[in-house]
Amino acid sequence: MLRNYLKTAVRNLLRYKGFTFINILSLVIGITGCLIIALFVWDEHSFDRDIAGGERIYRIYNEQNSLTGASNVAVTQPAYATFLQQNYPEVDTTTRIMMFRDKFLLEVGEKSGYEEKGWFVDGSFFHVFPLPFLRGNAATALSAPNTVVISEELAKRYFGGEDPVGKPLAIDKETYEVTGVLAPLPEHFHLRFRYLMSLPSLGLPAQRMEAWTWNQFYTYVKLTPGADAAQVEAKLQAHVKKEIYPTLENPNSTFLPHFQKLEHIHLQSADFVYDNALRGNQTYVKGLTIIALFVLVIACFNFINLATARSFRRAKEIGVRKVIGADRKQLVLQFLGESVLLSLISMLIALLATLILLPFLNAFTEKSISFNPFTNPLLALLVLAAAVVIGLLAGLYPAMVLSGFQPIKVLKNMKPAGGGGNIGWLRKSLVVVQFSLSALLIVCALIVYRQVRFLNTKDVGFNKEQVIFFQTRGGVNENLETFKAELKNSPNILSVTSGYGLPGDQFAGESVRVPDKEDQQFSTTLFIGDHDYLKTLGLKLIAGRDFSRERTTDEREAFIINQTAVKEFGFGTPEQALGQRIDWEEWAPADTTNPVKRGKVIGVVQDFHYKSLHEKVTASVIQLYPAVHFKVAVKLRTENLPNTLAYINGVWDRFSPGYPLDVQFMDETYGNMYKSEEKLASLIWIFTLLAIGVGCMGLFGLAAYSAEQRTKEIGIRKVLGAGVLNIVGLLSRSFVGMVLISCLLAFPLAWWAMHSWLQDFSYRIDIGWWVFLVAGAAALLVALITVSFQAIRAAMRNPVKNLRTE
Amino acid sequence: MIKITNLEKIYRTEDVETVALNKLSLEVKEGEFVAIMGPSGCGKSTLLNILGLLDDPDSGSFLFDGIEVAGFGERKRADLRKRYIGFVFQSFNLIDELTVFENVELPLIYLGVGAAERKQRVEEVLDKMQIMHRRNHYPQQLSGGQQQRVAVARAVVNKPKLILADEPTGNLDSSNGNEVMELLTNLNEQGTTIIMVTHSEHDARYSHRIVRMLDGQTVLENLMV
Repeated sequence: MLRNYLKTAVRNLLRYKGFTFINILSLVIGITGCLIIALFVWDEHSFDRDIAGGERIYRIYNEQNSLTGASNVAVTQPAYATFLQQNYPEVDTTTRIMMFRDKFLLEVGEKSGYEEKGWFVDGSFFHVFPLPFLRGNAATALSAPNTVVISEELAKRYFGGEDPVGKPLAIDKETYEVTGVLAPLPEHFHLRFRYLMSLPSLGLPAQRMEAWTWNQFYTYVKLTPGADAAQVEAKLQAHVKKEIYPTLENPNSTFLPHFQKLEHIHLQSADFVYDNALRGNQTYVKGLTIIALFVLVIACFNFINLATARSFRRAKEIGVRKVIGADRKQLVLQFLGESVLLSLISMLIALLATLILLPFLNAFTEKSISFNPFTNPLLALLVLAAAVVIGLLAGLYPAMVLSGFQPIKVLKNMKPAGGGGNIGWLRKSLVVVQFSLSALLIVCALIVYRQVRFLNTKDVGFNKEQVIFFQTRGGVNENLETFKAELKNSPNILSVTSGYGLPGDQFAGESVRVPDKEDQQFSTTLFIGDHDYLKTLGLKLIAGRDFSRERTTDEREAFIINQTAVKEFGFGTPEQALGQRIDWEEWAPADTTNPVKRGKVIGVVQDFHYKSLHEKVTASVIQLYPAVHFKVAVKLRTENLPNTLAYINGVWDRFSPGYPLDVQFMDETYGNMYKSEEKLASLIWIFTLLAIGVGCMGLFGLAAYSAEQRTKEIGIRKVLGAGVLNIVGLLSRSFVGMVLISCLLAFPLAWWAMHSWLQDFSYRIDIGWWVFLVAGAAALLVALITVSFQAIRAAMRNPVKNLRTE
Repeated sequence: MIKITNLEKIYRTEDVETVALNKLSLEVKEGEFVAIMGPSGCGKSTLLNILGLLDDPDSGSFLFDGIEVAGFGERKRADLRKRYIGFVFQSFNLIDELTVFENVELPLIYLGVGAAERKQRVEEVLDKMQIMHRRNHYPQQLSGGQQQRVAVARAVVNKPKLILADEPTGNLDSSNGNEVMELLTNLNEQGTTIIMVTHSEHDARYSHRIVRMLDGQTVLENLMV
C-alpha cells in the first residue's frame, strides 16, 4: 500500500513539474527562512544558560525615577553588594564590576598596545561566575591590589609562549602582577572582557565604596540554594525606601533596586541605559520570528491553494480508487503522505541552503552559530519532525477536500467542487491572507528604512563629520594648552577643544541648583569644555554668547545651557535665561571651604543629541573647568586627511612619547549606536522580498489554473470579438480585488506595529499616509505583473484551439 | 442476489427537483446477465450507482445478498464494494500514473492481499485478458480496446460476485466492443452476475434479460432466448 502511494506521489510530482517546482521552491524558501531565524533565535536564547549555578545568579539594576520619567539603569551603587553580603543570609556571594569605556595601555618589555575591555572586579567575581582558568587560581587571583587576570589571546600577544602567571604587566604605567590566564569565554556569556583587574587596584576610599548615591558598578548576587530572590529583592527595596530615601538631596529623583535573572540579561535589557552586557533585543527577536513564520505560512498556503486548485486533475484517480474500495481514511493518508513527501524533499534542500547561508548569517550577526543536522541525531530528528508537521499542516485541508469527492460525479466527468463554491472562497481567503502579510511587511520595511535613514541624517545639533577625538595621556595632560596650540598650527586643523563630555562618548550626569527657583536641584548632563568647545563641535548658539578668553571670569562664573534646560529650569525664553544663576558643586574644588561654583547663564545652545535618538535630550550644562580635561577633540579639513593625522601623531609623540595615540572618529562612534536598527532594516527587507516572492509564485500558479479553467470561456469571448486586453482584464480583475482587500486588512495592523516600534525612539518619523499608498501600489503592481503573464498567455491562444480542447 | 423495492431517488437543486428513480422495483438473481436500456436521463446510471453502492437511495429497500444495505454509511458501503462488486466504465477510468499491472493490482491492495498473492492473481487475470505483454505500460500507451481489457481485468481481479458495467463498449469500435462483450459473457458463464447499462441493442443481446426504463421506472422487461 505504502509503495503504491509513494509511486503515485512521485509520478504525480514528476508529471506536474510546474506545480511541483512552485510548491517545493516556496517551501524551501519558507523553511530556509525559518531555519535561519530559528538558529538566530535559539542562539539569542542560549545566553548564560550554561553558567554553573546560574539559576541562583541575579544582576541588580536600578529603576531610576525623576520628574522627566523612569528608566532602567544597569549601573548601581557600590553599597548594594556590601549591604547584601553583610545583612542577608540568603546571599551567598556578591560581586561588582567597574567598567571604563577607555582603553588602557598595556606594556610588557618592548610590547605595548591599547587594549579595550579591561574591567575592575571584586575578588569574588570568579566565585559568582566560575569561568575556567588555563593558569592560576581563580579563588585568589583577584583579591590583592594590582593583580590582573588576562585572556589567552592577550597572554599570547604579550608573553608569547611563556607562562605569564607571576610576571609583571604595566597597565597605564602602573605595575600589575598577572595572576591568571582565562580560557576563552563561553560564547553565550553576556559579559565580554579581555582582562580583569582587581577592584582594590583603584584605591577607592572605603567610605566611597559604602555610598548609596554613586552609580558606577554592575552588581551581581549569587543566592544560596533554595533562597527566594523575590523576597531578598523586596527586603532590599524596603531598606532603600526606609533608610536611604530620607537621605537623598533631591526627593524627586529616586532609585529602586531590582533583581534580574542571569538568563534574562541578554534579551531583556534592551532599554537599559549604561549597560555593559552583550545585549540582544527581544522585540527584534520576536519580530523576526513572526516574519519568518509569515514566510512559512505563505509557502504552506501556496501548497493548499495549488493542491485544491488542481484537484480536478486528480479527481478521476480519486473516483477510481473509491469505486475500487478505498475508504476516505486511506485516501486522506495517501494525500497526506504526498504532502509530507514534498515537505521532506523541501526540508532536505532547505537544510543544504541553510548550511550554505550560515556563514553569511554568522558574518551578519557577528555570531558563530554552528548547525549540522547530518551529524547531530537529535537535531536531525527535530528537523524531520518539523518537516512532517509542515507537510501535515499544508496537506490536511487538501487531503480532506480531495478525499471527499463523490466518485460518481468525478467519473461522469462532472467537475468536482474544486472550481467554485466554498473551496474557491477559501482559496481567495488564503490569497488575501498571503497578500496581507506581504503588504504588512512592505509597510514595515518602508517605515523601518525611513526611520533608520532619519536616525542617520537627522540634524543632531552638532557637527560630527571630520571630528576626531582621543584621550589625553602622559605629557599631553601636563601641557594641554601648549599641545592644543601646536595642533592649531596646522592649516588642516580647523579647531581644537579639550574637556570631558563628547557626543557619543562619555559624559557626566550631575545635578545643579538654581538659586532663584527656590534653590531647586535639577539633574543634568554636564559637559566640560574650553573656549573652542562650541566651535569644534559646531553647537549652535541661539541666545547670548560663547565663552570668551577676554573675560577671565568666565572660567569661574559662566554656564551655557541647552534649550531643554531653559524649559526645565523654568527660565522662560532663551533670552530670559541669560543672566540666571546656577550653582554647581565642584568635583575638585581649589578652595575647599567654598566647594560650590556659582555662576550665571551666558548663552543658550540649540539642543544637541549627545546620545542616540532612542533617548530624549536632557537638560545640559556646558562649562569651563580646566581641572578636568580627559579628552581632546579636533576638527579637521577634509583634504589631506592622512597627512593631518600624521601631523597630530607627530605632535602627540613629542608630548607623550610613552603612549601611542589612539584616535576615534566621532561620526563612527555615533553611527554605531544605530547598528542594530540598520541590521533590522536589512533583515526586514530580505524577508519582505522573500515573502513577496513566495506569494507571487503561488499567485502565478493560481493564475495559470484560473486561465486553464476558463479556457472555453476565453475562447467563446474571443470568437465574439473580445481583444487581448479585455481578456487580461477579465482574468486579472478578481486578483486585483483580492490584493485591495489584503491591503485594507494589513494596513491597520502595520500601522499599529510600526507605531509601537517607533515609540522606542524619542525622535522619530511620522508614519505618512503615502507609505500605505506606495505599499498598496507595490503589492498591486507585483500581483498584476504575476497574473497578467498568465492572462496574456491565455488571451493570445488561438480561440479555435481553446474550444476544441474543452 | 439483488432485490430492490420501491426505490426512490430525487436530485434537488435550488429550484429544480428531478426524480431520477420513481418507486422502482427490480430483482436480479445470482448468475444472471441483465441489460438496462432506456433514453438519456431515464435513471439508468442512477440505478447502476445505487446498485454499485456508490450512491444512496432516498427511500425504498435494497437487499444485497439478503442484507438490507439502503442507509449504509460510506465506510460499510466501501467495504462491501471492494469485496463483492467490480466496475467497468465507458471511459475505462484507469489511473494514469499507474502501470497496467499496478492498476489491476489496486483492488487487491485495498483488500489487504499480500504481495506474492497479488502478483500471482494479477498475472493470472492479465493472462486471461491477453494483456500480459503490456503489464508495464501506462494507460496512455494503450489502445481503447486494450484499456478496456485492463479495466475489465481490474474489475474481476478480486473475483466479485457482481460486475456493473456502464456502457462498456461506448468508447470502442465494433470489433473491440465485441471482444469486451465476449469477455463479459465468459465471466457470466463462470458464474458472475452482470448488470450492464447500454444504449446498444447489439450489446444488449448478449444478456439474458433486458430491462427498459423510462422516467425513473421500469416499463418493460424482455427475456432473451
